[in-house]
Amino acid sequence: MNWTATAVALFQVLVATLVAPLVIGITRQTRARLEGRAGAGILQPWRDLLKLLRKETLQANGVSWISSVGPIIVMASSLLVAALLPLISTITLPLVPDDLFVVVSVLLIGTVAVALIGLDAGSAFGGMGSSRHMMIAALVEPTVLVAVYALSIPAGSSLLSSIVATRLDAPAVILSPVSLLAVVALFVAVLAETGRLPVDNPSTHLELTMVHEAMILESSGRDLAWLELGSWLRLSALLGLVANLMIPWGLATDATVLALVIGTIALLVKLTVFAAALGAGEVFLAKLRLFRVPELLAGSFVLAFLAVTASYLVT
Amino acid sequence: MSESLYAQLISLTAGTLLLTAALIVWRRSLRASVRLLAIQGIALAGLVAVLGWHERTIELVLVSLLVLGLKAIVLPLVLSRNVLTHDDDREVPRLNPTASLIFAALLTMLAYIVCRPWMGDTDDPTSRAVPIGIALVLIGFLLLITRRRAASQLIGFLVLDNGIATVAFLTATGVPLIVELGASLDVLLVVLILQVLTGRMQVKFGGTDLDDLTELKD
Amino acid sequence: MNPLEGALTAELLIAALACIVAALSPASMRRYLAGVATLAMAASGIVAGGFALSGHTGTLSAPTALPAVDLTLAPDRLGGVFIVIASAVTLLAALYAIGYVHGSADSRSAWLAFIIFTLGLQMVPAAGDVITFLLAWELMALGSGVLVLTDHRTRPQARSAALWYAVMTQLSFLLLLAGFAVLATATGSTTFDALVTVSPTSTTGALAFILLTLGFATKAGLVPLHIWLPRAHPEAPSHASAVMSAAMVKMGVYGTLLVVLRFMPGGPAWWGIVLLVLGGISAVYGILQASVTSDVKRLLAYSTTENIGLIFLAIGASVLLAAYGITAASQAALLAALLLAISHAAFKCSLFLGAGAIVHATGERNLDRLGGLGVRMPWTAAAFGVAALGAAALPVTSGFVAEWTLFQSFIHGATRDAIPLAVALPVAVAVVALTAGLALVTFVKLYGIGFLARPRSTGADDAHEVSHPMRWAALIGAAAVIALGVFPGPIAQVLASAVGIGDVATIGFGGLSLPSLGVLLDPMALAITALVCALPVVVVSALSARRHPRRATELPWGCGGVRVSPRMQYTATSYAEPLMRVFDDTLRPEQDVVVTHATESRYLVAQVRYRQKLSDVIEVRGYRPLLAFADRLGVVSRRLQNGSLHRYLTYSFVALIVVLVVVSL
Repeated sequence: MNWTATAVALFQVLVATLVAPLVIGITRQTRARLEGRAGAGILQPWRDLLKLLRKETLQANGVSWISSVGPIIVMASSLLVAALLPLISTITLPLVPDDLFVVVSVLLIGTVAVALIGLDAGSAFGGMGSSRHMMIAALVEPTVLVAVYALSIPAGSSLLSSIVATRLDAPAVILSPVSLLAVVALFVAVLAETGRLPVDNPSTHLELTMVHEAMILESSGRDLAWLELGSWLRLSALLGLVANLMIPWGLATDATVLALVIGTIALLVKLTVFAAALGAGEVFLAKLRLFRVPELLAGSFVLAFLAVTASYLVT
Repeated sequence: MSESLYAQLISLTAGTLLLTAALIVWRRSLRASVRLLAIQGIALAGLVAVLGWHERTIELVLVSLLVLGLKAIVLPLVLSRNVLTHDDDREVPRLNPTASLIFAALLTMLAYIVCRPWMGDTDDPTSRAVPIGIALVLIGFLLLITRRRAASQLIGFLVLDNGIATVAFLTATGVPLIVELGASLDVLLVVLILQVLTGRMQVKFGGTDLDDLTELKD
Repeated sequence: MNPLEGALTAELLIAALACIVAALSPASMRRYLAGVATLAMAASGIVAGGFALSGHTGTLSAPTALPAVDLTLAPDRLGGVFIVIASAVTLLAALYAIGYVHGSADSRSAWLAFIIFTLGLQMVPAAGDVITFLLAWELMALGSGVLVLTDHRTRPQARSAALWYAVMTQLSFLLLLAGFAVLATATGSTTFDALVTVSPTSTTGALAFILLTLGFATKAGLVPLHIWLPRAHPEAPSHASAVMSAAMVKMGVYGTLLVVLRFMPGGPAWWGIVLLVLGGISAVYGILQASVTSDVKRLLAYSTTENIGLIFLAIGASVLLAAYGITAASQAALLAALLLAISHAAFKCSLFLGAGAIVHATGERNLDRLGGLGVRMPWTAAAFGVAALGAAALPVTSGFVAEWTLFQSFIHGATRDAIPLAVALPVAVAVVALTAGLALVTFVKLYGIGFLARPRSTGADDAHEVSHPMRWAALIGAAAVIALGVFPGPIAQVLASAVGIGDVATIGFGGLSLPSLGVLLDPMALAITALVCALPVVVVSALSARRHPRRATELPWGCGGVRVSPRMQYTATSYAEPLMRVFDDTLRPEQDVVVTHATESRYLVAQVRYRQKLSDVIEVRGYRPLLAFADRLGVVSRRLQNGSLHRYLTYSFVALIVVLVVVSL
């Protein structure tokens, strides 16, 4: 066992978990300010979380173990993704490299757990959310895999850390059309995976338009806390990945304290910028009709596919 | 201009050409398509300007200005007048956008494959962008086949023309000014004539759905 | 006599004994006696397969009436893999059958058919020459055909399914016969060892490849030859469907591997493309149909088409990569094909056995009428859930390891020098990704609708856990799914040695490493990392649970209302509705909505009736016209047959003359 790598991974998980609610806070606050509201402050998600953890947990009669264990699975899958992705450093655990396919599969465990929670209580809204959520997850997967496939060709590896490290060494790659197309495609996929506009409206109050919210309607107390934190952490980790693909500078490549401090600060700055940009962007977007979402995903898939084509066939 | 900057600019403009074409396939709104067409015109003009700058030929720079004026300003304006006069701005394509997008991707791949023998092993940035021109031609055809409204037919035709122009500029490294002038005027004339025809159709059928033309055969 | 020959002889003797036991045992004891005999047969098959797999060689042969044609059994290492797969699946199915069979499935003929089916399955991969292979192939078809007919008295659909199955399986046999005939005439011998002299690039080689591939694809249930599969699998009793789906269709895979690895290794690139396209289309079409189907067993049958499609895709990628000299990636793809095959055997066996348990406990096969079984049948739910995870290729199951290996071969096969590869690999990545995504929806639907929420019918409400042999069989299958997923290294090494791949190593806690690609996967380490990550969450939850235990209530939110009836829940049909809309053009469902208005006002709705019928597009568009054409042809040819004996004799006479003239020319 490599203790340095383990310590770095744990540190990364800790930072990502602490920051995730703040990322949501920043998005909401930016949005509130741009819409002329005062906003609740960027610490509000943390306060919500602590409040939820102190509350009583209710559950519907006759549910199975999924309802109580599911939230922990969701949270664990997000934590594992945060541990694997190159967020602060490109150092990976020796036996658990951040292989793209592994990361996607770990994310999917979380996706499946939420979908099952949505079905477990047996309410119509939960089933509706679950069904839509799984449809989106199924259609996103080709985009994700093909986009990272395109990115993996210059690096010759499907390890996300080596992809990011290659970009750090040769920044010219970042601005090539291949990489731009792939990163844009990946970004659309991330928006869909994490339930942001224009795929899903995270702040909706109408059950019929909900996707993610509909599945967790019947959860409360600590279950809800884990589900919320899990989805926020997933958003932060994936935003961090996209940020590091676009702007790899600042990422630690060795395990010295200085490099890690710089890496952490760089991550915080990137996440702040991206979160604010996301919040600002969402002001101008409306949610797409559900059956227009496949068109959006097909569009992003085509971008990813063009990226692969171009990278293969252009010598 | 350094070689690497030249290569970057060529791939950037060519990439924009391809991206706008893909987005035109994606969007149903005619207004958005016209805007994208304008961006495509700017990218084409940019491509020509970069070529001219690199070859140090004033003629190409002039051509680029002509392209900019015609394809980025005049034609989109003419088209948007047509679109704006009718309230209904939605295209209802014969093929759903998802399928057309995937077709567009396959056509691009085809373009790359057919161009490979010509491109060989050269590392010349201009020949690397040729397949994008071919792809534009193919996507233009796809638009012509799958769209119903007369205005979108025009858009498809213009994408096709942009593709031909791209290939011409990249392979011939510069079309004589007079040839380009002639070709551009031709395109302008075609667009104007079709514009008039569209107007007639609007009057005759109350819509510009080309499927109505099948009724004329009797 | 060496150990392999001994084991094969023992297997044949036990099979003969099992037939006698099944035929003679009294009805009350039959399932125990015949079940134990089949178990012994399967166990001896595992031993024989294990010997073959570990590199022992041996030949059993028996002379036939024809000179110079002997029936020989001479399994090689690849055959050993498939003998072990077939025997292990049969072992679980036989164990399950002891608790499961009743009525017609417990009859003398059903047990005899099951034993013959098992024997055929074990002999196909053991065969050492064409005649034995085809004979075993027919035994397999015969046994399974009778099993499909088991319930023909109560279910008329069984008869039609058996007819479809018989026709398609004969088609497969004829294609194989033709293919082997091409090879045998070219080499002048029927033993497998002699067939290798045919060059894969020759016309003979190409013709044999096409015929054999089509024959094996029919048995493997690939689109568009899959048509028998969604009919026959659901109609057979569940233990038989498990064996058909988990083991029998694999014989198509074995046959294809036999062609591309043993008879004609180093096939040209177009072989790879043919297999890739066949596999890719089957994978997407199969899972798409599965994702919108509500019948549990039909869904699993379509998912079999998907999985076999993925295996063919992997074999195709391997052939294609090898044709361009990218050895490491090609070997990884071949390894992926074998991993997919054993992984599918494990999870599909468990899923079919679980489905049988559901039908047994509730009397329902329609997911729209199930629900809430997780609480009522906890053991079956656990086995089914794990197997469903395997089918959805999530970590840490066998399916995940297999798809990971496949994906690595795609990534490392990337090259700019060969256009077919540059086109095929990205498309293959997209196909595998879409398939994996849809498989996720399918199995979330299957488990979520079937086992979670409230029961949607009285049958499901009164469900009870099934007997011990049934639940243990399903649980052992599920355990295999996890074991293959957690310790892939040693298993992959064994499989790699069976097809002559050297570059596979075990790493960490039983993880899989492919040194020539420079990639590794250690699921155990991944699981440990996940547990470390989950630990704080569990601790916080436990602390919070001490202060506030969970409280059960009717429905915490429910949009402010209360639950009226379980019919208000989402059903399997509604769950799949978004996908149905997205893939409307491909699936072409028939839908009717009939709205009845109240008599007082037409603005009030009294009743809405919704009906949706989904038929297989390929059947409707491809097979129906073909059958109609055959019918018309039949009507026309009736003119030749008017009942006159003289006319028939004239036909024979004319035929005789024609033959004589042709021969004399």
